[in-house]
Amino acid sequence: MEEKFKEIVARYCSVKAEDIKNDMSFRDDLGLSSLDLMTFLGDLEDEFDVEFELGEDEQKLSNVRTVEDAMNMLKEYME
Amino acid sequence: MEKTIYTMWKRCEEEYSALPAVRWLVKKDVQEKKYGELAAETSAIKKGFVAEGFDHKHITLIGTSSVYWITAYMSVVTSTNTAVPLDSALPAADLIDLINRSDSEGVFLGKTFAALAGKIKAECPKVRKIWMLDGDAPEGTETVADLIAAGKDAGEPAQPTEDDISMIVFTSGTTGKSKGVMLTQSNLYCNIEAVLYDMDPGLIFLSVLPVHHAFCLTMDWLNGFWMGSVICINDSLLHMVRNMSIFQPDVMLMVPLMVETIYKRIKALGDVPPQVVAPKVFGSNMKYIFTGGAHLEPYYIGEFAKYGIEVYEGYGMTECSPVISSCKIGEGRPGSIGKPLSNVEIKFEDGEILVRGTSVMKGYYKMEAETEETLRGGWLHTGDKGYLDEDGYLFINGRVKNLIILSNGENISPEEIESKLALNDLISEIVVTGEDNMLTARIFPEPEAVEKMTPEEIQNALQDILNDYNKNQPTYKQLSRLVIRQNPFLKNSSRKIIRHQVLIDEPSA
Repeated sequence: MEEKFKEIVARYCSVKAEDIKNDMSFRDDLGLSSLDLMTFLGDLEDEFDVEFELGEDEQKLSNVRTVEDAMNMLKEYME
Repeated sequence: MEKTIYTMWKRCEEEYSALPAVRWLVKKDVQEKKYGELAAETSAIKKGFVAEGFDHKHITLIGTSSVYWITAYMSVVTSTNTAVPLDSALPAADLIDLINRSDSEGVFLGKTFAALAGKIKAECPKVRKIWMLDGDAPEGTETVADLIAAGKDAGEPAQPTEDDISMIVFTSGTTGKSKGVMLTQSNLYCNIEAVLYDMDPGLIFLSVLPVHHAFCLTMDWLNGFWMGSVICINDSLLHMVRNMSIFQPDVMLMVPLMVETIYKRIKALGDVPPQVVAPKVFGSNMKYIFTGGAHLEPYYIGEFAKYGIEVYEGYGMTECSPVISSCKIGEGRPGSIGKPLSNVEIKFEDGEILVRGTSVMKGYYKMEAETEETLRGGWLHTGDKGYLDEDGYLFINGRVKNLIILSNGENISPEEIESKLALNDLISEIVVTGEDNMLTARIFPEPEAVEKMTPEEIQNALQDILNDYNKNQPTYKQLSRLVIRQNPFLKNSSRKIIRHQVLIDEPSA
């Protein structure tokens, strides 16, 4: 799962999937824009068949700062 | 014939009644409403306004893009009333302030904002009615069905005149307080009329811009309706790419940030022929992307052309309803924001672009000094510097006013944020800057207050202040970086901070 996850992250940055570390920040280390991050989460929904319930609450996205944060969120929804 | 949104909508009802007007998703199913159905609903809601005594009143809309939101919006702008679309991502206190400052007497509220109803009741004395756009009606509110029921036996509503204010849109003010731009019925009508491209009914739009922005309302919705197009609603920015495959749009309006993200998606597919990539990313029909809100790097225009997508850049501001100039289909010029619209006159004053024309706002609501300042001598001062080339194409090459334009099209007034944070005892001076599409707070701490603190403690204390501020702000207004200055900012002779120096003398921590 982690491998596939990082391949999806790599779509939005110039860092290769194998070089993406869990503590990397989407914004500062990987250079994702806010929309890249949202579109990335949309990709996760499609690829892992989950539906994040963020509703209109953008604030929840500000909790997703690092690769690990997103991975944990995905795991939560997959359970 | 009067140039009003009312007459435009009447024509849509007559000419396109049986055609689809709006498509949206419920879970994964596509739903649809025809022009005739939408027009019937707006008529019923307008009779409700009559019954409830809403004539030349202001009505706020709070919610994200939905068929309910747009039905309510069309009801307001085709009546004598004024729509006040607000950014639903703003903190509750800001929304309350704007409802009060716009003198709204009615509020349409999306169901996810139901919690706001009690606060509006308690803190907005002029609000007489709150109508829930969808979902149940909590205490003190009513549903849209209630509004329609109230108007069942009401008489026909009056028609708006060209000079009636159709909407008030709040925009970042450089003085720190957002300003309510008053756009008349004819302002909007004339903007669409001047932008129109020659397309048959049935053109498919996917609307992905924030619905409270003039760019989205005028150019996706009103322009699309005028042409008899089908407007598809993007349910979430998470799903923009997915929804392009579902709705298969012909046209999309975007801010540069969206173009950048989509380009990354294309590149991620690797070395695949363009004819294979295009349908995967854009759907099978996409032909045109119109951008605005911020400057688009011309590189993308050439890159998208490889996939058969024509990208046209335009320029505008809410005060101009909003389009001032636009590259027309087949007449693009990368780097330029197109030729001024036919209803627009342009001149330059010390390099600043001044605009006059039928789409220029009536003024800022209850802000006479700001209105006079911006509409000096009948010319709107855009705050942007630019020039026309020998063929009449407009180019932007600088700014006069102090606004940060992010690539998502949001305009941020640094002073607005600075004045809030400067109240803190630990902060002596603060300047907010925008780099890499993010906001940075550059702070010179109050020497006495931090005298006994270690650098780490100062860093943590200031970061806590930023976190506290960020907590209630929409993403685009959040401060992503902190730079702690060792020295005060450089000042000019009148002791004002020299803004263009702040990145030079101490660029980072």
